[in-house]
Amino acid sequence: MVSEMQQATVTRPQIRVQNAVKSFSGRVVVDIDDLTLGDQPIEGLIGPNGAGKTTLMRMIMHSTPLDRGTITLFNANGGGDVVISNLPTHWMAPHGLVKSNQVIMDFDNLTILDSMLLAVSTAKYEQPHRIFDEKPLYDDNVERMHEYMEYFDLGDPMRIAGSAGEKKLLDIIRCLLLEPKFLMLDEPTAGLPEEITEKVVGLVRKLADEGTSVVIVEHDLNVIWNLCDDVHFMAEGSVVLRGSPEEIRQNSTVVEKYLGEGHV
Amino acid sequence: MNLNWLDAFLISGLFSVVVIIGLALLLHLQLGLTRIANFGVVGFFGIGMYSFGVLFTKVDWPFGDLPAFLVSLAFGTLVAGLSGLLVGWLIADLDEDGVLVGTLGFATVVFILATTEQDLTGGALGLGGLKFPYDVGTVKADEFLWLIIVIIVVTLIFLYVWWVHRTPYGRLLIATGANEPLARSLGKATFRTKLWLFAVGSAGMGMIGALFGVMERFLAPENLGIDVTLAAMVALVIGGTARAWGAVIGGFLIFGFFDIIVQSYIPFPKAWYGQAIPNAKLIVEGLVLMGVLLFRPLGILGAMRRDKLMRRVHG
Repeated sequence: MVSEMQQATVTRPQIRVQNAVKSFSGRVVVDIDDLTLGDQPIEGLIGPNGAGKTTLMRMIMHSTPLDRGTITLFNANGGGDVVISNLPTHWMAPHGLVKSNQVIMDFDNLTILDSMLLAVSTAKYEQPHRIFDEKPLYDDNVERMHEYMEYFDLGDPMRIAGSAGEKKLLDIIRCLLLEPKFLMLDEPTAGLPEEITEKVVGLVRKLADEGTSVVIVEHDLNVIWNLCDDVHFMAEGSVVLRGSPEEIRQNSTVVEKYLGEGHV
Repeated sequence: MNLNWLDAFLISGLFSVVVIIGLALLLHLQLGLTRIANFGVVGFFGIGMYSFGVLFTKVDWPFGDLPAFLVSLAFGTLVAGLSGLLVGWLIADLDEDGVLVGTLGFATVVFILATTEQDLTGGALGLGGLKFPYDVGTVKADEFLWLIIVIIVVTLIFLYVWWVHRTPYGRLLIATGANEPLARSLGKATFRTKLWLFAVGSAGMGMIGALFGVMERFLAPENLGIDVTLAAMVALVIGGTARAWGAVIGGFLIFGFFDIIVQSYIPFPKAWYGQAIPNAKLIVEGLVLMGVLLFRPLGILGAMRRDKLMRRVHG
């Protein structure tokens, strides 16, 4: 039993950020010496606005380029270690690293079904000469897509996502359909109704149990306290504190800088 | 073959409409799906036409006209494709203004090269000596057969473009155009996608240029004016940029009306055909374009309607 658990910790994907710096017009937004994410199945990243949480996640995805530093993904898809700070963004998903978006992002013109098919489709299908691949793509993935549609009670998938909440949910579903090994969620529950939030939380737990490492940025602290095994507290561009949810919420610096007395 | 029933104006009118529709269909992939506003259509059209024409006329071909034609056509298509690859690589990551200026600049470069490289292109005097790769009797019969061939080519382009909406590749193009960062985060190589689409689309425009050159028989820089780009753009925008049928409907409505109906069937005084009607055509095109953009900005056919399409495909 013990050895099995050790095994599980060893093969869990991790991200190590070393000497990573990012500044915007002279102001340093992120400055991290050495940070490892993914020791625990679900980790939270909290901190006041402007602490650099979203920028750090974007740096990991390389959608924001680093000024300097190295980011490595251990136990990527296929088992190897990859220096991801040298790779373009579109290589992250094939390596198993996926991030949901803080702001609402959608493809106008594409239906919900389109969005899901786009997520499950790979470069193999998306060649100009592969003109009869729509049906095999659909047939190979229809069960997986239906599971999510039923779980979230999406209704008719052949329409364009309407409300902000629906688009936000669709963004998360797209991420899940990519079968991430390391999943980063940037404020996943902002703008979602409570029962959907609970369903998302349930799915995240299940994923983590199955071996995916999850990192969540979230302002709804109830989600953080209930879900996370470990919490990183970020302020002014670096992680200043790390610990279990209990330790973090009782720490005087965190209370003073972020939570306020009422939350203890 | 007795072709007395056929008006020579009708052949040339239909031919120009079909050529414009062919260009507009390729532009639909670039502009309508992937949102690359290619204002250099005539550049790729022209470089294909001249590469084809120069190779076909300047080389002393040891074999018959048909193989010489096919080799030259392949060459023209290839040159247009390679220039598309180069221009695409330069513009793929630029914003809309950059794409506009870059592609427009390329078309200007091609125009200037056609004018100044006199040894190859004949400069402003033009390049003669092109001919049909067959001879079926009269000039009219030759032209009619050529029209049929080009209609078949453009129909094949249409079928591909229409079908692409129903493939994973088409979905990738639409996603790349609609939200490139999001597509990238889903693991899509958007730069490569745009680059190859641009190169292949440009190659197709070059091929159409070569086919156009054969019908003209005489290549001159005035074939490379911005009006070719605008014709394709206007046809597509009026029909609806987001729809494959948009290129066809827009092309027939605007250019079919002028190049076929006005030219062949309305008995205007002969003198008008020199200046008045071409100018009136430009004015009406401009007015219709403004009207469409004001009152129906997505064109006659309107939005893409993936909801209906998905229902038909997977419903």
